[in-house]
Amino acid sequence: MSIAHRWSDLRPWLGTLARLGLAAVWLVAGGSKVGDLAGSGRAVAAFRLMPADAARLVGAALPFVEIALGVLLLVGLATRLAAAVSAALFAIYIVGIAAAWARGLSIDCGCFGGGGQLAPGQHPNYAPDILRDVGLLLVAGFLVIWPRTRLALDEWLLVGEAT
Amino acid sequence: MSSRANKKQAARVVRDQIARERARARTLWISIAAVAVLVIAGLAGLVVYQSQRSGEHVNPQHATANGDGLVVGSGPKTVDVYLDFMCPHCKDFEETAGGSLNQMAAANQITLAYHPVAFLDNASTTKYSTRAASATGCASDAGKLTEYVQALFANQPAEGSAGLSDDQLIQLGHTVGISGSGFDTCVRDGKYRPWVQHVTDQALNRGVSGTPTVYVNGKQVEPSLPAITQALGG
Repeated sequence: MSIAHRWSDLRPWLGTLARLGLAAVWLVAGGSKVGDLAGSGRAVAAFRLMPADAARLVGAALPFVEIALGVLLLVGLATRLAAAVSAALFAIYIVGIAAAWARGLSIDCGCFGGGGQLAPGQHPNYAPDILRDVGLLLVAGFLVIWPRTRLALDEWLLVGEAT
Repeated sequence: MSSRANKKQAARVVRDQIARERARARTLWISIAAVAVLVIAGLAGLVVYQSQRSGEHVNPQHATANGDGLVVGSGPKTVDVYLDFMCPHCKDFEETAGGSLNQMAAANQITLAYHPVAFLDNASTTKYSTRAASATGCASDAGKLTEYVQALFANQPAEGSAGLSDDQLIQLGHTVGISGSGFDTCVRDGKYRPWVQHVTDQALNRGVSGTPTVYVNGKQVEPSLPAITQALGG
């Protein structure tokens, strides 16, 4: 079997792995915040990138959007779109964390719940957060380029149709 | 032979064409549905958030002008302290700096404003931050705010626990000398819970995102007694 053949056989399964991995990240991230929407708003406000009122609304909407993205990716519906929205969100998060770092803010990103200003004596560690989001951005990018994956609703809905 | 093959080929091209069109249409509809799902999810978040917010609030006695805190003393300089009764660092701060600040307020050297916020409601199973902060409003009505704040920190529950029950919060009020049933019903009814939400929102609007946070004459300083006395001018 040629390498090209092997890649085209393997790729949809790699895509499944990427899709489910991304779905898990969104479901955990959204699920950890959905029980405390006010806290989620505070975490957004701590970045000081928008007025507190706007941050409250973004903080309330975000966990639900994250869970919805997780569900879409989990079942494999509109994979390319969900992956593109995911990539856009990761890019925004990376910019937000980098901006907090550059301005010397001492906050917790609140990526998986919690968030807000750190207590005195606690030091933020932004690099791992950014690296993680860059990794996730690459995974999402893979799905934007190759959205057809195995075990996906997309595959079933578009069965027999030209790709 | 060649003409039949051509026809077959043409038919296949047409079939492929139709299939591609159909796939495109279906993909479009799936995408529209997915976008709708995301938008609805976001709106659901806003609706849930709005429904969680309580409506009108009443300010306790001795509240600040805009109702975002509780005032002790009437000195020329102001010290604003943002605290959460579930926050261990706030307890440390109260134990090291609280006494001196209360003395300065009692001597009317400073106007001390406590802003009891509910940032850490998720650190207890019963929204202890909100309940305790709400009870301070009741204590302020009874004129025993500083004593009650000290008692709350002295009896701070562990993170992740249920916190003190409403009955225990009432009991604590009695130990600092609050009498009369007004305090008891005030705590039990959660009279000032909407007010705590207001305090928390106002704190956020001011840029407070953690506790303890301290302002001296409107300028943020490190939450420590030396930093505060220095900012007050020795």
